[in-house]
Amino acid sequence: MTAIDKYLAPTSLAEALDALAAGDCTILAGGTDLMPQSQAGRVKFRPMLLNIRRLPLSGIVESGGAIRIGALTTITDLLDSPLVKAKLGVLWEAADHFASGQIRNAGTLGGNICNASPAGDTLVPLMVLNAEVELTSKRGSRRLPIAEFFTGPGRTKREPDELLTAVVIPTPPAGFRARFAKFGTRPALDISAVSVGIGAVVDGGGLRDVRVAFGAAGPTPMRGRMTEEVVEGRKLDDATLAAAAKAAHDEVTPIDDVRATAWYRREMIHNLTRKVLADVARA
Amino acid sequence: MTVQTVAKDSLIGKRIAKLDAPEKAAGKTRYIHDINLPGQLHAKILHSARVHAKIKRIDTAKAKALPGVHAVITAADVPEQRPIGVKKDHMPLKGDKVRSLRDEIAAVAAETEEIAEEALKLIEVEYEDLPLLTDPTKSREPGAPVIHDSAPDNVAMVFDYANGDIAKGEAESDLIFEDEFSLHYVTHACMGVSGVIAEFDAKGNLLLYSNTQVPFLHKREFADMLGIDPGRIRIIQPPIGGGFGSKLDIYPFEPITLFLAKRTGRPVKMVFSREEEFAVSPTRQPVLLKLRSGVKKDGTLTFRECTTVHDNGAYTSWGATTPFVMMQTVSSLYRVPHCKYHTVAVYTNNPYAGSFRGYGNLQATFALEQHMDKMADALGIDPLQFRLKNAQDPGEVTPQGMHFKTCGLKECLTTAAERSGYVEKRKAYAAQRNAPGSIKRGVGMASMLHVGGGAKIYPSDGCGTILKLDDFAHVTLMTGASEIGQGSETVLAQLVCEELGVPLESVTVVNNDTDITPWDVGVHASRTTFIAGNSAIGAARKARDKILAAAAKVSNLKAEDLDLRQGQIVRAADGQVIMSLSKMLRSLHFSDKAELVMTTHYYEPPSVHQDKEFKGDVSAAYAWATQVVEIAVDTDTGIITLEKVTAAHDVGRVLNQLGIEGQIEGGIVMGQGYAMTEDYRVVDGRVVNPNFRDYKLVTAPEIPEMDITFIETMDGEGPQGAKGVGEAPAICMAAAMANAIENATGVRMTKLPFTPENVYRALKEAGK
Amino acid sequence: MSLAREITFTLNGVSRTATVPVTMSTLEMLRDVLNLSGTKYGCGEGECGACTILIDGKSLNSCLMFAVDCDGRTVTTIEGVAADAKSQPLRDAFVKEGAVQCGFCTPGMVVQATHVLAKNPKASRDEIQRGLEGNLCRCTGYKKIIDAVESAAKECV
Repeated sequence: MTAIDKYLAPTSLAEALDALAAGDCTILAGGTDLMPQSQAGRVKFRPMLLNIRRLPLSGIVESGGAIRIGALTTITDLLDSPLVKAKLGVLWEAADHFASGQIRNAGTLGGNICNASPAGDTLVPLMVLNAEVELTSKRGSRRLPIAEFFTGPGRTKREPDELLTAVVIPTPPAGFRARFAKFGTRPALDISAVSVGIGAVVDGGGLRDVRVAFGAAGPTPMRGRMTEEVVEGRKLDDATLAAAAKAAHDEVTPIDDVRATAWYRREMIHNLTRKVLADVARA
Repeated sequence: MTVQTVAKDSLIGKRIAKLDAPEKAAGKTRYIHDINLPGQLHAKILHSARVHAKIKRIDTAKAKALPGVHAVITAADVPEQRPIGVKKDHMPLKGDKVRSLRDEIAAVAAETEEIAEEALKLIEVEYEDLPLLTDPTKSREPGAPVIHDSAPDNVAMVFDYANGDIAKGEAESDLIFEDEFSLHYVTHACMGVSGVIAEFDAKGNLLLYSNTQVPFLHKREFADMLGIDPGRIRIIQPPIGGGFGSKLDIYPFEPITLFLAKRTGRPVKMVFSREEEFAVSPTRQPVLLKLRSGVKKDGTLTFRECTTVHDNGAYTSWGATTPFVMMQTVSSLYRVPHCKYHTVAVYTNNPYAGSFRGYGNLQATFALEQHMDKMADALGIDPLQFRLKNAQDPGEVTPQGMHFKTCGLKECLTTAAERSGYVEKRKAYAAQRNAPGSIKRGVGMASMLHVGGGAKIYPSDGCGTILKLDDFAHVTLMTGASEIGQGSETVLAQLVCEELGVPLESVTVVNNDTDITPWDVGVHASRTTFIAGNSAIGAARKARDKILAAAAKVSNLKAEDLDLRQGQIVRAADGQVIMSLSKMLRSLHFSDKAELVMTTHYYEPPSVHQDKEFKGDVSAAYAWATQVVEIAVDTDTGIITLEKVTAAHDVGRVLNQLGIEGQIEGGIVMGQGYAMTEDYRVVDGRVVNPNFRDYKLVTAPEIPEMDITFIETMDGEGPQGAKGVGEAPAICMAAAMANAIENATGVRMTKLPFTPENVYRALKEAGK
Repeated sequence: MSLAREITFTLNGVSRTATVPVTMSTLEMLRDVLNLSGTKYGCGEGECGACTILIDGKSLNSCLMFAVDCDGRTVTTIEGVAADAKSQPLRDAFVKEGAVQCGFCTPGMVVQATHVLAKNPKASRDEIQRGLEGNLCRCTGYKKIIDAVESAAKECV
């Protein structure tokens, strides 16, 4: 039986932040993770259930060299956005591989981030895009690079009184290309055994501003710094591709679970890194 | 006055929509989950928390004290319980020890499901762990933990079949092949979870709403357990959310629900959660299979020897008896003079296996059809030609005693091969194996033989029909055969229309109430169209004879010169209308003799029970098929894409084109799941993926292109020439996939499933 | 007992008020509180699609949605879809094309297909297959379901 003694569905951010400041809250957005997790007993409800779905926190806007995506923007909203498709193609690709149509209609970007699953589908592309999360509380607002946001499976640096209100993505520089690959046998409805996202500015000679991220390859989604180093500034020949794949293979720390063994995850990280990197260079 | 004539209007072979489809598409069909009786209580079962343990103590006091709880029962509370299952080795409620994680320890009936669940948490159970036995190959080792005291050697069942002389076969062989095959667990995963509702009336009669596929057999068992006359049990079968063999045995939740209803005096409803469905339901039998095959240089098969270990799990259900079917494939799919088959089904602490569409044949065919390819390649003969050389012909009687009155195997083989371009593609793909690039293409073939005219497992394999016509020429067909989604209701109605010349809308099929419908052995073994179809035809023909005899009198024509067409009685030669059928029926009814047209028929197929050596013609007809699959293997990931399936099925005759296509397509995709995506993972006796997230059914974007051809061999015994087909399409897929993987990569995989990781690992181990 | 809330929403075109525990799913509310049994429980985890409904015209898994979140919204179930003459061609296509076997997945399939076609009346076969990826079927092998939606799409154009 639940110990919830209060339910709030505020329509203004101020009300929501008051509630968060006042008490111990479980935040409900799309519900697609909270419902099954609470029913299975993996998540225990806190005394207040705070339904934030009625807050004005959805929408995708570009201004001042950045694209701001409201936390309540659904995955379907991302897919339907010409702006996302044109400028954040790697995020669009991940959204297209996200769960199912029904879950994309309900699930929110903020929910996917705060859920902090190592396999969360949008997290890898957001890392590749150097996204920042905007956390708001009565104390004010702060921004954190998404790569620093996750502290473990299901754990983040969000303080209990904070709400993730938006994701801010610097508009990618000219010539920036990025690709995402999720390992699975289905187009979607698969929880990633692993995923790889790679972005870089491709100019004549080589790759610059290389960003690599891996999903389900460790306790949190992670940036592949060693892999980035191997590729940065280099021309993408066979030797670089092989070195990058090896660096990726060596820097991930996957586990054995019901979906895959650690051995296989490493192999896939290796092979997918080579494939995605080649795709980025070719794009 | 103009003379009206009407033409013969046959529905056979047409695309006939399922009669129940409009209701289902509107969400109006009431499944067991949707039925709620006034005063109904909700039941939940406490399953074991341990895999193998003695139960030291069960304390239900706190659960009983919870407000809203009406009954809490344990084994001690139900002395009337009797062991259930194929070997009667399974007590519904376990009192002394648990043998698997699914074991039922206690059950609660309460006002709501939530209260029942809460009560389960209050039941205290103290266990004393026993050593685990989860590896079937260790069951018979000295000192292995004993699962049942009644079987100290952990052997549940043994099957031995032989014909000819293996030594002689070996001596005649130029080449001998031996391989070990490993088949995994899968489960039915019906979309509708299991459920039952039990209610006793004031006289102590039981009314059961049940999803069983075998209502008439259940009556006897429940009666034994309740100590009442089976006649006092009425089973109503609401529409079923999928069967596939999963509802062919009694499972503990059913008697447990009866006990709760009996004790509370209230209707009690038990419905599983999906997790429970995964954890508790039966599975397809995991099998370790050794196959030895011999062949002469000219491609003549000499002998086959098959030895299997079946993981029985902790209790014995139908899964243990799949050797009945497996040995048929080994002895008789191809002509083989010397054959030996041996199965031992051993107890373990794993989940137990039930019957599942195909009934062992997926496993046997997986091994056998891989050997066929292997032998062909070693001999340098094309696998198609090799199969054709050893295929049976119509009229043959196999050494096991199976009589193939119709046999379309050769036509299936050539049709599937030609339509897919099998021979050329196989050569071309093998030649491209070492070309650069990670995508390798392959094509693979497999054939199958399966019962298609019932299966005489019990002393009777029959089905009864009651048919009545009302004053308005509306037909009510009461049949023992249940509809489980496969479309039998529609096919039976079509067969009746064919005899009585009435439109489909004029037929109502009643098939879901044991107080009304006559006896039937149950929905299994692809038997319903064949057995219930013949039964329905028999009843309809009797009605037809009666009507035409009466019409002959009033028309001064001979009965054999009359026909029934489009609701009219007509002259057969030219279709001239004599009178409407309804008028004829009314004139019979309101005459001096005052007669209604009502008939009954019982059809028992001309098959025989096997003798002690497993010889005999158990089915009145046999179905055949060949399937060719085309795949792409990504050697970088191990991901296989199933691109196309070309299937040719000997179905006797197509009765409903739409329905039979649906059966074949659904079976192909179920076979695809078995081969590629479904993997019911049991680790130390625990199911580790009891959900659709990690137990992966094939989804809509993954299905292959399907090219399906029906070979119509017009079986003399079949209804309008048809044979049973329900199980056939799932059987070949895994075998054909294995052959295609070999064609694509040169790696032969003998272990299922072909998940990306398993395929990738096999390729790596082979140095690819 | 858990905290309950009174909510008001439009259900199949009619305004409804219901009192629901705040942790109850919309699926439970539909089936157990409102006695609408057309929406099916298949898994309770959003993996099978049998419980698909439309919320403000968009499809989602009612098993994943908190019933309290229906407050103020427009809820359409299979009963509402079936009562809508506009959906007749789609349901007829399910019947005619043989898309129904045991039928347990069918209400969810019909509702999801309604959403797919509403969003993209000219959906291609590939788009239909992707559109139905969240709906499991164990009987048909999907082909005839895809055929049915495709034929309904052609009829719309």
